[in-house]
Amino acid sequence: MSQEVWAFSESDSVANETLAAANEVANAISAKAVMVEVNGESPGKASFGKKLVVRGGAATPESPEAAAEAIFRAAKQAAPLVILVGGTKNGKEVSARLSAKLARGCLSDVSKLSCDGKTLMGERGEYAGKVQTKVAADLPCIAAVKAGSYSPADGKGGEVAELQVGDVQPKARTLSVSRKEAATVDLRAAKVIVSAGRGVKKKEDLSLVQSLARVLGGTMGCSRPLSSDLGWLPEEYHIGLTGLSVKPDLYLAVGISGQLQHVAGIKDSKVIAAINTDREAPIFQAADYGVVGDLYQVLPALEKALASRRR
Amino acid sequence: MKIAVCVKQAVDETELKVGPTGSPILTGAATKVSTFDKNAVEEALRLKSAAGGEVVIVTVGPADARKAMKEALAMGADRGVHVVADTEKMDPMLVSQILAKAIQKTGPYDLTLCSEGSSDTYCGQVPPMLAEYLAQPYAGYARKVEVSGTTSRVERALEDKVEVVECPIPFVASVVSEINEPRYPTLIQIMQASKKPVEEATPDSLGLSGQKPLVRVESMSAQTMNRKRVLIEGTPDEGAAKLVEALAKEGVIPG
Repeated sequence: MSQEVWAFSESDSVANETLAAANEVANAISAKAVMVEVNGESPGKASFGKKLVVRGGAATPESPEAAAEAIFRAAKQAAPLVILVGGTKNGKEVSARLSAKLARGCLSDVSKLSCDGKTLMGERGEYAGKVQTKVAADLPCIAAVKAGSYSPADGKGGEVAELQVGDVQPKARTLSVSRKEAATVDLRAAKVIVSAGRGVKKKEDLSLVQSLARVLGGTMGCSRPLSSDLGWLPEEYHIGLTGLSVKPDLYLAVGISGQLQHVAGIKDSKVIAAINTDREAPIFQAADYGVVGDLYQVLPALEKALASRRR
Repeated sequence: MKIAVCVKQAVDETELKVGPTGSPILTGAATKVSTFDKNAVEEALRLKSAAGGEVVIVTVGPADARKAMKEALAMGADRGVHVVADTEKMDPMLVSQILAKAIQKTGPYDLTLCSEGSSDTYCGQVPPMLAEYLAQPYAGYARKVEVSGTTSRVERALEDKVEVVECPIPFVASVVSEINEPRYPTLIQIMQASKKPVEEATPDSLGLSGQKPLVRVESMSAQTMNRKRVLIEGTPDEGAAKLVEALAKEGVIPG
């Protein structure tokens, strides 16, 4: 059996994170980390030691169904010890499909991977972030690596191998792909995030939040009701369990009550501050600094205070 | 159109208590219908009202999971299939295998709907695994589902793009919560829900017994929020000044 730890992600940036996780696992068990690409160009992307290009007919890395089938066939031939998939939405699908196809365990959305040569272990947040659960599966196995939990590996060119896996035809046909309207909003990389919640009474008032975000050199985000229920902002702004997980230096929650689902998405922030009229609001339990007050008065006061500091 | 909706009775994360050893108390914990499963039920009811047919709720769980079943039936589903099983030690793979067998046995269905993930553990593995076991096309993270004749058009909401896919019927889809606003059942619907037929099965009766989970839980620990929880009160100007001072000391704002 070849002693390989595979890393795959359809997303270039997440691929290097996944490779970093694979490097760690491979080092722990003296195996080789291999970057896997589906019908990719070769050579190209960052690679540690070895890159494997899986070629399978019409398969594209963007189709999770096709990518899973191509990687499954490759794994049947090459028998890797661990397959790590970057935990994007499509990546989670690829990992679950691989698990079913190979009849091997799959750790979902894990970070802090460790391996003793027999078992792969990882940690995941559950119950809206209330609980940290350590899960394990015996090798060979699969894991979806939580996006953003590893720093991207540095690319070094290495040996490139190709594997033909025959024709792969997905059952679901992609008709079109469109970038989301605000796809440029990259909250994951933001150092400062000022986020709006239900305390904001009208859509127009978001300009207050936006303005403070600008003064702080940050980006605006929001809690679920503003994007999903009210539609004031596109889904890309939604921070929380079913939206984005962020970890800025400063997260400032404006008029956000602090439901568990929201806190789950911000708990890795360095400093959390909150503004809310209700001193009993749960967000204050999740924050380092809480200002009890009306955002309509506190936000302008904050801008003023920031401006006078700079003078 | 015949639609199966997979519903989970989940631990209510808002009510979850922590024991003296720092691990959560799952036994006897308060439960509810997994939050986003209601979006899947709602979508099924919406599709049924447009095209006619039947909505069947499928659940795997202990006898107590009948509560979640009733809630989904009260929303307007027609009947239920309850696979009575102790799911506490099961991994998503075992649950998917049971769901797939129950769906095959009580179907055929044109569409199987799930939510993107359960509100308690949020693994998100069951929907794609179901598609694998049922050998059907799959569209995950759907924010819009349209079915016409023998095919469907599904908008998938991904991180930074929207992908439109075509899936021939029968297929499996998972929905995101932005797809709709789940309805609240009326009192009459809640009362009628207990009279709706629920077929019972067990893993044994489905030909699945003795399966061992491949993913184990090694330990669980409650996350302590190590936050300073400094509460600042006073006039807006005082509050703002104190916050700016504190954030500057933390080194998280410029200047």
